[in-house]
Order: sequence, then C-alpha cells, then structure tokens
Amino acid sequence: MPDRSGTRQSEVYGAKRPVYLFFALLTAMIVAVGAPCALAEESMPVEAILARATAEAIHRERPWQILLHYKPSGSESPRSLVDDPKFFLAPDGKTNPAAELDATLRGLFQAGATEDDTVRCRFPARAAWLQERLGIPTERLPPVACDTLAREMAAVDPQRTVLVFPAAYLNNPASMFGHTFLRVDSGYQSPLLGYAVNYSAHPPTPNDFLYSFKGILGFYPGYYSLLPYYEKVKEYTSLEHRDIWEYPLNLTPEETRRLALHVWELQGISSDYYFFDENCSFNILFLIEAARPTVNLTDRLPLWVIPSDTVRAVQDAGLVAGALYRPAQATLIRHLAAQVPREAQVTALAVARGEAAPESARDASLSAPEQGRTLELAAEFLQYRYARKELEKEEFNRRFLEILRNRSALGAGAGDALPVVAPTRPDQGHRTGRGEVAVGVRQREFFTELAWRPAYHDLLDPSAGYSEGAQINFLDTSVRVYPRKGQLRLQRLRVLDILSLSPRDLLFKPVSWKVNTGLDRETMADGNERLIIRLNAGGGLAYAIDRLGLVHVMAEADLNLSDRLRDKVDIGVGGSVGFVREVAGIWKVALTLKGFSYPLFEEHTKVQAILAQNVRITTNTSLEVSLTGERTFGYDRFEGKMGWKYFF
Amino acid sequence: MKKIVLAVAALLMAATPVLAAGTARSNTGCGLGTVLWGNKADGSTMSQSLQATTNGTFGNQTFGITTGTSECTQPAKIAENERLINFVRANMDDLAKDIAQGRGESLDTFAELLQVPAEQRPAFNAKLQQNFGRVFTSSKVEMAEVIDNAVTVTN
Repeated sequence: MPDRSGTRQSEVYGAKRPVYLFFALLTAMIVAVGAPCALAEESMPVEAILARATAEAIHRERPWQILLHYKPSGSESPRSLVDDPKFFLAPDGKTNPAAELDATLRGLFQAGATEDDTVRCRFPARAAWLQERLGIPTERLPPVACDTLAREMAAVDPQRTVLVFPAAYLNNPASMFGHTFLRVDSGYQSPLLGYAVNYSAHPPTPNDFLYSFKGILGFYPGYYSLLPYYEKVKEYTSLEHRDIWEYPLNLTPEETRRLALHVWELQGISSDYYFFDENCSFNILFLIEAARPTVNLTDRLPLWVIPSDTVRAVQDAGLVAGALYRPAQATLIRHLAAQVPREAQVTALAVARGEAAPESARDASLSAPEQGRTLELAAEFLQYRYARKELEKEEFNRRFLEILRNRSALGAGAGDALPVVAPTRPDQGHRTGRGEVAVGVRQREFFTELAWRPAYHDLLDPSAGYSEGAQINFLDTSVRVYPRKGQLRLQRLRVLDILSLSPRDLLFKPVSWKVNTGLDRETMADGNERLIIRLNAGGGLAYAIDRLGLVHVMAEADLNLSDRLRDKVDIGVGGSVGFVREVAGIWKVALTLKGFSYPLFEEHTKVQAILAQNVRITTNTSLEVSLTGERTFGYDRFEGKMGWKYFF
Repeated sequence: MKKIVLAVAALLMAATPVLAAGTARSNTGCGLGTVLWGNKADGSTMSQSLQATTNGTFGNQTFGITTGTSECTQPAKIAENERLINFVRANMDDLAKDIAQGRGESLDTFAELLQVPAEQRPAFNAKLQQNFGRVFTSSKVEMAEVIDNAVTVTN
C-alpha cells in the first residue's frame, strides 16, 4: 500500500480513498474466489516447492527412505533394495534418493493420460507424504481421477493390521523357519474377510530342477500379492498342514491405510528374492515401517533373516497386541481323534475311506457327542484325503455330503468339540542362535569345548515353540582344547543337519528322514582321530510310545572322505534306533544306538551309543550332559561331557 | 559377491534330493470339492521340501481383490453381493461342514455377509442345520442354489 501520510496527498485523494479501498478489496475478492489456482500458483510455484524440498534435504528423511526401500550401501549413496526399474521415476532412482524425490515431486503436478501414467495414482503413499511434508494442498495439484485405486481401496477398507505366521509343516523341517505375511482387516468381524499381503518368489517355470538353489541365490523375482485371507488359510491349514499364529498389531486405521497404499505402490514390482536375507519376512517389515516410520525394523540386514526372529522384532518394537492360534487341519484331526475311543477312530477312518457307511458312526455304544465327533472326524479326514488327491471330485462330493447329512441329523450339541489347546507361541520359544561352553573327559583326557550354532533347533533343545521331533542345524561348529596335550582342534563343523522324526499313528503314516553333511572327527585305522568330510542320509519310521516318548528306527548310508583314509573314501551302510522323551517341558532325555558297516574300501565297522540329557533352566539357557561309547576300527572310545547352552 | 557366497552355501545344501513337484491341477468349479491346488505339490515329502525355499505361490502376481464368479449362475434371492458370492464359492466345503455341525468360522462369516444380526445367529444356525438336506440338495449343488436355499429356509 502506498504511503498516504503526506498532507498534500491526503488532501488530493482524501475524498476518493474509501472508494479506492473498496474497489481494491472487491478486485481482490473476485480474484481470490474466481481464480484460486492462479493465485495459489503465484504463491506456490512448482520450482519453489522443488527448491524447498532440496534445501531441506527431505530425501534424507526416514519416510522417504522407507517408501523407496533405501538401505546404506558402504560409503556410497544408499541403494534401494527394489530391483524393478518400474518402481523408479528417475533413471538413477535406485541409487539417488534426491533425484527420485525430485522426479516424484514433479510428477505430482502432472496429470497423465491414464492412471498408470499419473504419479498420484501409481504412488499414492509417496504423494500423501510429500503433500503432508511440504504443505501442498490438494487444490494446488491438477485434478486426477484414480478410479482403480479408489475402488480397490474401498473394497479393502483398511482398518487393522495383523501379522500372520504359518508355522512348521509336518515332516518338513525346512518349513520350521516359518513364513510371515500380513492381513489387512476391514470393518467386517470375520478374519476370513480380510486381505492377505504376501511377499514370495514367483518362479517363471515351476517344477524347475534347480528350484531350491535358485530360491537361495536370488534368481527368482519376488512379488507382493494381495488376496483374500481365506485363500491363504486354506492353503496353509488344509494343503500344507501348518498351524497359523495371528498377531494383531496396534496400528491405527490411518497407519493401516498408509500400509495399504504402500502395498499398492509395490503392485507388480519385482525384487530379487533371496531365501536367506531378502525373503518374505524381511520384505514385510518395510510395509510395517511405512505405516509407522518411527519404528525401526529393517535397520540391520543380517546374513540371515528367520521369520520367527522377525516376529520377535515386531514384538520388541511394541507393535504386537496379542496372539491367536489357528490349528492346521491335521492338528484338528489329531485333536478330534483323541476325544473318541479307538474303535470310533477306526470307524471314522473307514467312513472316510468309503469302506463303511456314515450311519455306522451312529453306533449306540457311543454317546451322542462321541457320535457327532466321530462324524466330524470322518468329514475332516475325507477333506484331508481329497486335498492329497486320493480320490476324485464326484466321489468326494458324494461321500462328503453323506457324512454331513448324518452329522446334521444329530443336532447342535452332539459334537461340541473342545477347542484345540494352543501350544507355546513360536516367538516365545528359545532364540535361534546357540552357543555352548562345555567340559568333558575323553579316554581319560580332560577337555574344554566351545560351540556355536547360528540356527536353528536341535532335537535336544527345549521343544516349546518348535515342532516335536524336528531338527535343523546350520553351521554347527565346535572347537576343543585338550590342555594336558596342548591340543586345540576343530571338533565338528556340521554345515547342514536335518532330522525329521514324524510319529506314525492310525491316521497318519509319514516317513521319517535325515540328512547331514560337514566335518566330523572320526577314529582312523591307526587309532588317531582325524577330520573327515561326511555325508549321511537315512529314512525310517517313528512312533510315539507312552513311556519312551518318540521312538525311531532308521536305515542310513554314510559317506566319509579324508586324506587319512587308506582309499581317501569310505562308504558305509547301517542304521540307528533310539528314543527322545521330554518330561514336564523341562527335562529331555535321548538315547541313540547306531551301527555301521563299511564293507568297501577300508573295511571296518562302527557302533556307537549316546545317552544325552538336557535340562531347561530358562527359556534361553540349558544344561546338557552326554555320555558316548563307541567302537570304531576295533578301538573303544568313551566320553562324558557337560555343557551350558545359551541361546541368543 | 553376495551371489558367490550364496552359491557356495547352496552347493553344500545339495544333499537334499530333488524330485519334480506334482503336476498342477487347478479345480475351480461352482459347487463342492473346489480346492485350489494351483501348482502346489500333492503332499509328498520331497516335493513339499522344494517349496520351502521360496514360499512360492505360483499363481497370483496381481492383486486379487475382486475375483470373478461370472461363470457361475448368480443367486436370485439376494441383492448383488460380490463378496458373499465369492466367499461361498471358494469355501463351499467348509461352509457345508459348519452348517452340518451347527457352528464354525465359515458359518459365522456367511451369516455376517448376509447381515444376520448377532442375536439371531443361534436360531439362524439351528435352522440351517435342521434343514441341511434342503440347502445342500445333492452332491452337484452349486453356489447360487446354496445361497437361495439358505435364504429360503431361514426366513
């Protein structure tokens, strides 16, 4: 406003000032109402916004780093863990957060021809953060209609988030690592109506011979997928026979919405899938961080990311609001079977196999609830058989309906099954890394031993939170010192050691198996103990027997390689028998007897007996005592050892 | 570098024997016995162990928010409800089982999608159980009939 303080000016214009003011005000009002965009543009030009973003270096701020999955990369600029070029708007977006932000910000002010060309529709989470951070009102941006985004967000209606953990698969120890994915719940009460958000590898050619290797080496692309939760439930509980744990998270509806928008951004975007580190569990953590940037979950990228460890990490970050157990169908079947007499189990099995009519379950010798449970057991077992493709669809439909008709005739209270008792939560079992300090005596020589095992669970480790009878050890390493002889030696380096003991019963007849490979110390023909490379594999049967626990018998083959062997190689066949028993969840005892004959090459035999006991002191500490006696190449060897095991 | 380290690790894991996984048999119908095996193996130990390293889902890369049931007959007695139709079609076996037993999560979900108020659920469940044969009329019954029959017997 010009200065009107001068007297002459006020004399000349004095009478007209109010009129000028009136018109100036009117013009301002017209301009403000009639052309808001133009006015806003003047006060907020694109270049000014871009300049501000650069000046404040907002590309370094955590929300941007999370949304683009940037991680520090040595001394260079951060790299995004996403490999798909479609995810980046700048040509060097993968390694240049500032350039990517600049390109995204520019894109906000443009409306593309289609939704796919429009930044605000393709990257709504980025757009939302940039608008909020830089104070850009929506009116300032060109109007766009993100119809697909709006429609699908309305269908998902994100309100709550749940972390889902399918646990181990029966007789597949590798699945013991588990898997994690998320569920986004809407206003519906039923969890089945939520949507699962899952990251997994998508091999372009299924049934590939090198499937396992490629999954480990990052040769498969990984994608996020969104699908109805009930499909995931059926996949895990009915096809793969895995119990599911559901951990509701305390994310707010607003945070859950941010998560859903970020999932949208990752639609159809591939990243190299690495089984060990950039796997399902790790990539899900980015989604949680996008919802709540103050939380730090993906900070360190360890050499291996174990799903149950990520559940612990989410728990430690204060995000978990509870845990719900959803048993697998096989678990439910065992549970139902335990509630009816054995004859009823036999009947249910016969009905499921079509060897008896469903009416035979309505036997007067059974109480009404038992009759109901028998028919329920028959129905579940028939579904189980069908999922394993043991019968055709028409036959399944017919039998299934017959069983269910009979069950419905018994009425509501007839079955009334007790709920399955939930086992210990996987995240509350012992931690996955283990160290040991031990002392012992071997052939009257005192020794101390240090051992380290990065992952995962041994047969003798406390079972809580893990599958019974399943063992998977990686890089189990131990070093021994014999002080009197001044010897320090590598005792063992088991690269991989898998044992799966699955008890057989009336309903299920799995085959138990084992495989291990690595370096072991064995007695040689000259009586000395040398390191050999071993590859051992076997198969057999296991049964759960009342006082003995899990009893197993296996046939095995053993390959030994060593310079110290006469022929450098030795091949043996033999077997083992033993039992493992856990008492009160605290004390485990295992006895194993082995016998091998090495008839080719350097002929010899080996027999061995091991009695081991493990006492659980706390969740993450145990005491273990073992006695071993063996005879190899005719030499008798005895050893006793006591160790303190610590899980980390 | 990462790939070299992993290659060594992978070679050492070569002990696991490898067998081809079971052949795919997708089974999408409109009635009972719908199980989406996809490309998943058929339960044999070795083929299942292959799945372990990728948690692979051979199917969906896309976002399956709305799946079409356009090839199935549509129910006549309810207002358009895509969620209900998709749910019943995909979960028909479990829904039948729950109705026969008079309880269960699939049945609760069915009632919620039909907007049955909480206090009416016990009566709803009981009526369906008593009329099981009139809802699931034959082994060839399809989704539209199941929904229409359920609506009829509970009103």
